[in-house]
Amino acid sequence: MSQLAEDANRAVAEEDLLRADLYDLISALLAGPPSRDLLHRVSRLSGDDSDLGRAVIAMARVAKATTPKSAESEFNRLFIGLGRGELLPYASYYMTGFLNEKPLALLRNDMTRLGIERAENVYEPEDNIASLAEMMAGLIRGRFEAPSDLDTQKAFYNTHVGPWAGHFFTDLEGAQGSILYAPVGAIGRVFMEIEREAFRLSS
Amino acid sequence: MEKKSANRRDFLKLAATGAPVAAVAAVTGGSAQAVEIEENSESYRETEHVRKYLESARF
Repeated sequence: MSQLAEDANRAVAEEDLLRADLYDLISALLAGPPSRDLLHRVSRLSGDDSDLGRAVIAMARVAKATTPKSAESEFNRLFIGLGRGELLPYASYYMTGFLNEKPLALLRNDMTRLGIERAENVYEPEDNIASLAEMMAGLIRGRFEAPSDLDTQKAFYNTHVGPWAGHFFTDLEGAQGSILYAPVGAIGRVFMEIEREAFRLSS
Repeated sequence: MEKKSANRRDFLKLAATGAPVAAVAAVTGGSAQAVEIEENSESYRETEHVRKYLESARF
């Protein structure tokens, strides 16, 4: 069954599918250097005159002028580096100043409770931004054992994403090494503001 | 409650529909790093084992 058919069966509301799509896009762009195919797809996106729309237009424009090779070196400069990259996209680091601290332990507890397991060939701590975005998308789409209701999403967001992701995306937007990733940071920053406000309205 | 969730939907429709990215996400989304948990306890143990090893190997 296709992703779309699955989503339809679960009757996920349209605006929630848009959220899941945004989380998946962020996850795809931050999980590793974007492939030629991903760059091509991104370069064809468009948006309207909203903050989010303008950021997507900017990202599409840069993606059009980005080669897979330059995207890879940009990604490595930002996140891998020699020893370390310019940014450390981990919840634990942003919330405590150290990697692999209590926020990671709390996340692992919640992942077990919600029925989410790390893929076996992934060696990175689970509290990296790409994995957290993928988990949010999965919760919205109902991919995991956990109920995909708003309360579950909200609790997960408020604990693991909300406290730091906005700061990270702001850093990404302004990072020295960011070219393609500057508008990606803008998209994330605006999206996190939207999420925070939407969850606030739901309480 | 009904009214509040309507508020939320209205807000999201205004704020998040300006830049649909489904064409990208449908192809690339999911499965990058997190997977559904499996009942198979063998694979869980192995994951936990690898995790412990990696933790001990980290700086």
